[in-house]
Amino acid sequence: MPNFMDFIERANSGPILTEKDFNMESLIPNIRDIVKEYDISLDKENPISSDDAMADRLYEAAIELLARTGIYCEDTNRIIQLDRKEIIQSVQDFREGAASFGDGRDRRHFKSRKPEDTQLPWLHVGTGIVASSEEIAMAQIEGYGSIPEANSVSIPAFSRVKGMPVTGGSPLEIYASINSVQAARKALWRCGRPGLPIMNLLSSSTTATGTIAGSYPAFGLRPSDGWLIDVLAEMKVNFETLNRLAFIQIINGNIGSTAVPIIGGYAGGAPGTALAMTAYFMVGMHLFQGTYHLTLPIHFNSGCNSMREALWVFAITGRAASRNTCYPAIALGFAASGPCTKMYFYEAAATILSQVPSGYAGIQTPHPAKAVIDDAVTPMEALFAVELTKAVTGIKTHRANELANQLLEKYENEIPKAPAGKKYQECYDLHTRKPSEAYRRLYDEVKAELSGIGIPFI
Amino acid sequence: MNKQEILEQLAKAVVEGDKNSARENAQAAVDEGLDPLEAVDRGLSKGMAVVGANFESGESFLPELLMAADSFNAAMEILNPLIEANKQKISKLGTALLATVKGDMHNIGKNIVATVLETNGFEVVDIGIDQSTLNIIEAAQKHKADFIGLSSVMTTTMPYQKEVIETLSEMGLREKFFVLVGGGPVTQKWADEIGADGYGDTAVDAVGVAKKLLEKKG
Repeated sequence: MPNFMDFIERANSGPILTEKDFNMESLIPNIRDIVKEYDISLDKENPISSDDAMADRLYEAAIELLARTGIYCEDTNRIIQLDRKEIIQSVQDFREGAASFGDGRDRRHFKSRKPEDTQLPWLHVGTGIVASSEEIAMAQIEGYGSIPEANSVSIPAFSRVKGMPVTGGSPLEIYASINSVQAARKALWRCGRPGLPIMNLLSSSTTATGTIAGSYPAFGLRPSDGWLIDVLAEMKVNFETLNRLAFIQIINGNIGSTAVPIIGGYAGGAPGTALAMTAYFMVGMHLFQGTYHLTLPIHFNSGCNSMREALWVFAITGRAASRNTCYPAIALGFAASGPCTKMYFYEAAATILSQVPSGYAGIQTPHPAKAVIDDAVTPMEALFAVELTKAVTGIKTHRANELANQLLEKYENEIPKAPAGKKYQECYDLHTRKPSEAYRRLYDEVKAELSGIGIPFI
Repeated sequence: MNKQEILEQLAKAVVEGDKNSARENAQAAVDEGLDPLEAVDRGLSKGMAVVGANFESGESFLPELLMAADSFNAAMEILNPLIEANKQKISKLGTALLATVKGDMHNIGKNIVATVLETNGFEVVDIGIDQSTLNIIEAAQKHKADFIGLSSVMTTTMPYQKEVIETLSEMGLREKFFVLVGGGPVTQKWADEIGADGYGDTAVDAVGVAKKLLEKKG
């Protein structure tokens, strides 16, 4: 089996071509052809698919896509070619549950699930992509750590250091990376969960240099945490990616492969996006040699993934990967609406309903307001994701589909004009770090409403 | 084929993203003595308008848009020499210089904007990802751009959008270019804060914003 060095060699010696030619002559036609050849089609009426036969075809189609297309390295302008037999071998060789995360009483093994599994998914709380100020970030993380069921946290990116905006590749990125981990550790210590793993890499760092700085043993991430490293959309890597991979392999950290295929981007519509999203599981196991995966599609226009096409992508991809591999994957929803709105909870519920019965091993807090508004996330959204995931674990797919359709009726036409909601400081008390009375009331109202349509909250 | 049929075939080739057909029909237009500008305006551009409308309505996606643009360009390789020989000019609404700012390696959003602008009659110069402020300004001057479009997909690279605007001011060049900003975390509020001239929530919005700014300029 090839090791990481072999892939580096392929990145330096594979077929050379421009990125445009890779997109136009290889990636796009291959995706279009394979979608047709394997008969992958969207069923808009049934977004939470229970079609096992299509899921298995999707898995086979994803291997075919990788074997035909490979992965493009933007820095060498060469294709890292992937061999079908080697990909299958990597899937077979993946050691389920071999990796553990966290320390002390928060040390856990992250295991895969199957569709309609009754095992509670791994609960990954927080929204690392949303940037926060240092003070708010600490309050948010303390809130996440205070949720007893949380298995891991995703810590926010810092947008400023000493009042200066953090810019990628600058010394401020180094400070932001280190500060964010230190603040997170302090917050987790304060809520009595010092061993809870951080599993989103360092959102404050956009370069490998920032990642390496934030991994310094004295105050950075630990090997028992997880480092997310991304495949670029679609089917591309660059040296920043490979540099991170090289470093984390050397320090024996948990590599979390991640990818965000774009619905409407190079992969085309929902079927092509599901194809790419499934292929990224294999990229994670094979090329990245990861221990876990984090995945989500994003719609190119709406910037979220709560619309029915995206729910279908989540569902069919989760089903394809969980039926055919043991690679544990966290699914991540992106809501159009923000905190302290009813619509956020409808969107979050629909995305989680598309993920839990489809076999995802982990569920992350759906990100509010497309994750683009600083400070616009609170522990209430994390708590909702945990409570909802517990409520729907073991649910039958067809029932999840019925519930999702009911929820879609409530919000899908509102996505283009979704409410931005409130920031942490607007719906939480900064001193007590508790939600406002109004937010608490809204939360209870939504839970009662969702119970009314048949979601069995515990 | 008569003239009307050739024009229809050119439009069809673009809509279907069929590069070979676009080339063949462009050659047919030349062989039949069609005015090359008419072949562009009433054939190729008509097809691009259909593709653009399909993209706006969500019926088609980036691959269809790119394949259409590729077919358009393939036909233009045949028509362009004739247009130049006739000393004719294809009218363009304006020139947009697009870049993803320093430290940011994301290009899909920018590429979509580039293609949508092209399909709507703009000249686009795309200088790629991870571009420093001075590179962007130098390229805008070199290509005599009307617009500078700056993409940023991470909160940590958004400050570079501000840096471009501030540097343009410091260099006394701010009035020469409209600056449009976009990208996942970019909002109208951010655009207002940094003094950008325009912001597009989606790629299609960018076209409307660019056209309005040009109208304002007169």
